[in-house]
Order: sequence, then structure tokens, then C-alpha cells
Amino acid sequence: MHNKPCMALRKRQRRNGVTMEKKCSLNMILYELRNINGNFMPHFFGIVFPNLMCLLVSKTVGAQVPAEMRKEAVTSIMLTMTLVIPMAIMLIGYGALYALEIEKGIPLRMRLFGFGEKCEVTAKIAAHFILMTIAFLVFAVFQAVVMEVQRPAAGSLICLLVSLYLIGGIFLIIAHALANILQKFSLTFGVVMCLYFIMMILTGMMGMRTAQLPQVLQKVAGFLPMTYISNDFIDFWQGGSYNFMPFIQSFIFFGAAALILLYLSRMRNHHFSML
Amino acid sequence: MLLTIGQLEVKYGSQTALKIEDPISFKKGERIGIIGSNGAGKSTLIKAVLGLVPYRGRIITQLKPEQMAVHMQFNGYVTTMPVRYIMETILGTKIAKNKELQELISFFDFESCLSKRFNALSGGQKQKFTIILVMFQKAGLTFYDEVTSGLDFETRQKLTEMLSQWYRDKDDTLVVISHYYEELEQLADKLLILDKGRVVDFGRKNELFERYCGRVVIIMENSGKNKELSKGFPVLKSPEHLLAISCKSKEQEREMLMILTENNVNFKRSNSDIEMMFMNARERFYAQ
Repeated sequence: MHNKPCMALRKRQRRNGVTMEKKCSLNMILYELRNINGNFMPHFFGIVFPNLMCLLVSKTVGAQVPAEMRKEAVTSIMLTMTLVIPMAIMLIGYGALYALEIEKGIPLRMRLFGFGEKCEVTAKIAAHFILMTIAFLVFAVFQAVVMEVQRPAAGSLICLLVSLYLIGGIFLIIAHALANILQKFSLTFGVVMCLYFIMMILTGMMGMRTAQLPQVLQKVAGFLPMTYISNDFIDFWQGGSYNFMPFIQSFIFFGAAALILLYLSRMRNHHFSML
Repeated sequence: MLLTIGQLEVKYGSQTALKIEDPISFKKGERIGIIGSNGAGKSTLIKAVLGLVPYRGRIITQLKPEQMAVHMQFNGYVTTMPVRYIMETILGTKIAKNKELQELISFFDFESCLSKRFNALSGGQKQKFTIILVMFQKAGLTFYDEVTSGLDFETRQKLTEMLSQWYRDKDDTLVVISHYYEELEQLADKLLILDKGRVVDFGRKNELFERYCGRVVIIMENSGKNKELSKGFPVLKSPEHLLAISCKSKEQEREMLMILTENNVNFKRSNSDIEMMFMNARERFYAQ
């Protein structure tokens, strides 16, 4: 009889008709929120940084464009900067936090106290989505009070929000998978920071528009949904038509890549636990 | 039986880390000490029981998984919040509202640590923190894996005394892994001796002592003079600097003590020395 890791425990659970795993509770989500709050990175990169960048870039660019185009230019910058929020909170924040916990053996310790992976990850996801929502609210208030941006059409705003939450979810899957594969804080942080800057360059968030990039890089950028938000969303921000097909295709590609990475991370963990 | 392990084999790659052929059973209320050198398979045994490593064989228990608690060698917690919140989340209760938890915290003198973050706690405080969490689970079977390793002598002694005091007159079943013999003397009634992944012996402390060391052991400095004085008495395996004499009867003991007293030799008498028992059990195991 060969018992795989945790299988013996699960067999006993089934035999005894009990489930060891505690369910994700409000307390667990509060714990994860406190956990995020104890780390300055998601707050700085996810809340302070996009607002600050928005203000600085708007001032610089705003001064270079004619007055009648200023509002549109600032709105375009604002749309680009919203992308920093899910990237910073989900990719960098979650990735760094979870990798650090893996390195310290915290998930295993929590399992031994009866908190299963499902419970722990659910609480983390909930806490990170709550923080991302707070960051969006702060950003929205900042835009309304400090910046002069165009009022969006309701459909465009909903489309932006749905896209941002989807992107946030995909980044979270990528961060979770990377942390599980790399197992070390320094490695995971290095990789997510590289991804962060590469994606910022490719999707036109670093000042250079995607269309100005070499052809090869433009093709790569076409697989990222952020490219379309950064470059095209301004075209229908106040209404109008837009061909969503390439945007949806980029979501399918980006989501599939994240799921493959997640699958690889689970395979890797399964392989190592069998050794 | 609370737990029975039989025909168990744990491998890390191609290397066998633990092999238990004859069945071993832990009964309710027993205090079992697991002793062995590094790589003996002590932690591997706990990991197998908890289902954390793959294994072949049988681990039979009627215990529900939540009725097992474990203090691992290394226990990591987040350092982003005071430990009070970690404790309340893990135990699912508020300290202010739970008298039992307050008592436990007070017993371990941990009140002042609650507002600190885990990385700000000393080594002893870190161990106490996990001990409180583990004890509060009131598990049917509790594992302590090298609970005092890395602590200074005084903290180690205090913590062992606290554990021993807490479990006195309670019927909890404990499995304690330790490299410190004095810790096992205080906390364990039975010993499971492991070496290189094999079971050397398993039984009550006094029975094992008698089996491997006789009725009493007289330990003295390993010098030429002492060797001469103890000539004719059975010599046990002991650390290089010591000479250990086994006394099988009262008469033999009396005779030995008289010789040592007359010759003004300092000695230590013991009828429960775990170190001697361990060394001689291992010696006999490989001799067989």
C-alpha cells in the first residue's frame, strides 16, 4: 500500500466522516487584510504610486498639448494608470507576500492548524480584491477631485471595471503560481518586478505608446489585454463603437497562460512532495 | 489503541528514511519519547503520521485529524501583525472572552508578548507561542518535535518544566521528540529508540533501562585508576570520557559503591539514565 502525501490524512478524514479543513471565515479575511496592511508594498505601489504618477505625467503631458485636447490627454493617462493598480496589488503584492510565507513555511503551519489551502487562498483572494477595490475608490476620488478627466459613458466605465477585475484575477493566478514554483521571496519578487516593468513597457504605460515599439514587441503586446485599455479605451470612453474581438482574444490568451502556469506550479509541488 | 503503525516505510528518493517492521502502538494517555541521532527518522515518523510525506504501510488510528496537534521543529508565522491576532485567528476565539485561553497565556507568562510581532519574540517566546496554540487545541494526540532546540540551557529547563507541569494529572497523549535526555526523563514514560531509520527498541523507560543497563548504573571518570578499581564489573558503552558500570543486583551495587567510597572516587548513580540506555540499546542492536 503506497500512501501519497496527505492521502493518509484524507483517507482517515473520509473514514471518520469529518473534514479537517476549517472553512474560510470573516475572521480569516480580516487576518489576511491585516497581513496585507503590515506590508507597505501594495499600499505604495497600488495606491500612492498610480495617483502620483497620474498627477506628474498629466502635468508634464498636459503642458505640451493644446488646451482643447488636454482633458482627453489626461483621461488617456488616467486610463493607463488604472492598470498599475491590479498589477501592483495582485502581481507584486500578492506574489511577494505569498512567496515570503512559503519561504517561512507558514502555509504548512496553517495546514497543521486545520486551515487548508482552499481556505487560506480564498481569504487571501478576498482580502486582495478588497484592497484593490479600495485602491480603485481612492483613485476615482482623486481623479474626480484633483484631475480634470472626461466623464465616461456608463457602459465604458463598467467595461473598464470588469476588465480591471479580470486582469487583477489573472495577475493573482500568475503571482500564486510563480510563488509556488519559485518558493523563495527574492526570486519571486525579482520575477514579478521584471514582469511588471516589461508589461508596463509593452502596454504603453512607460510613456512610449505600443505603436512606437518594434513590430515583434507590438505583436507580443497584442496578447496582453492591458495594451487595449491603455491605447484604445480612450476612443470609446465617452461612448461610440469599438471592435472588442482582439481585446477578448487577448483575455483568453492571457488567462490561458496564467492557468497553464498554475497547472505547472501544482505539478511541481506534487512532484517535490513525492520525493 | 490510539495509533498503530505497522510495516511502515518512508523513502526520500531512493534512500529509506524510516522502516518500521514490527507494529508499534500508542495507547491513550501515554507519554512517548522518541530518541535518536540526526537522520534517525524521528521527524519523518511524525510527518508520516500527519500524512505530510509519502509512505508505504499502515498507520491506523481512530483519531479524527483535528484531534492531532503538532509543534514542529520550525514554526513560521506572519510578521505583519501582533501575535495576538494570529492567535485569535488560528484558535477562532477572542482572548478577552476566553478564560481558558487567558489561563494558558498566563501560565506561560506570555501576556506581555501578545502585542509583539512574531519576529520580535525571543526564541523561547516563539516556542511558547506555538505551544499555547497547540495546547489550546486539546488534541487527543499531541506531537512535540524538538520543542526546545536552539534555546539556551535555562530557557530550555524552564520550558520543559512548564510542559511537564501543565500535563501533570492530565490524560493527554504526548509524543515528544528530543535530543535532550533530561527533557525525555521529565516528559516521557515510554521510549521509542530509532537509529538510521530503524526501530532499535520501544518500551517503558524503566524496562528499557533494565534491559540495557541493569538495575543501576554507576558512572565515573574514565581514568586508569577507575578502570582498575572496576575490574570484574560489567562495563557499559558510554561516552569516551566516562566509565559506566552496570550493577545487576543490590549486592553488586553495594560492593561497587564501597570500593569507590574507600578510594575517594567521585561518581554518579542512576537507575534511569537515558543516554546510557540509548547508547547500549544501539550497541546491542547492531551486535545482534
